[in-house]
Amino acid sequence: MSGSDEKAIGTKGFVPSRRTVLVIGAAAASTVITIRPALAQSAGSILNCEIPVPGPHAGGNFIAPDGSLVAPGTPGAAPPLARPLRGEEVKSLLRSGTTPAGVDPQSAQAYANYVRRLQAGMSGFTCYASLQMPR
Amino acid sequence: MAGPVYIADCESAVQSVALDGLSVLFHAPSGMTHIVAAPAPEILEALRIGPAGAGELLARLRAWYDFEGDEAADAIDARLAELEAAGLVRRA
Repeated sequence: MSGSDEKAIGTKGFVPSRRTVLVIGAAAASTVITIRPALAQSAGSILNCEIPVPGPHAGGNFIAPDGSLVAPGTPGAAPPLARPLRGEEVKSLLRSGTTPAGVDPQSAQAYANYVRRLQAGMSGFTCYASLQMPR
Repeated sequence: MAGPVYIADCESAVQSVALDGLSVLFHAPSGMTHIVAAPAPEILEALRIGPAGAGELLARLRAWYDFEGDEAADAIDARLAELEAAGLVRRA
């Protein structure tokens, strides 16, 4: 990368000591390569895995627009989904904003953000991580 | 700026190791590892200041760097799309 000696990525107090040249690159050039975790999931099972929104640990809680869990009835928050989302639905929701069947389009973004915030150990996380893997 | 506004996860969610000319990022929320080249680490760093659209992001980067070439405005969208596809940034 340009000027990698000028700064330490990921450390606090990021200030380039002098101006360096940054190449944003051509639109067609790629700068990110993703390494797949060793999850034994076939393409079929990925699309059929399920993500409860919210997970059992937060049953009854509402989902704020940013995806965080809030108390039931919080104004502006989305109610829990009656059924888990399937992997295929989540993939469409995250990639193209397609609202899953039976889901209120107004709330879809809150559910999408909830899924994005899933962490290891939470129900649905493995499904979400699998969906992110490039084929 | 009418385009989407992007958010990057905080520094504690992404462990990074700088290699020679590349960075390896472990994104803890997704469990994914990414090898990235410039300008990806710089974009993530600039987004950690706060959510930004492409125009604001370019302005932040311009404060730190000189740009090579004149296609930055077009290419920044492509870079953001890559980072979004990888799960390293998301839309606000």
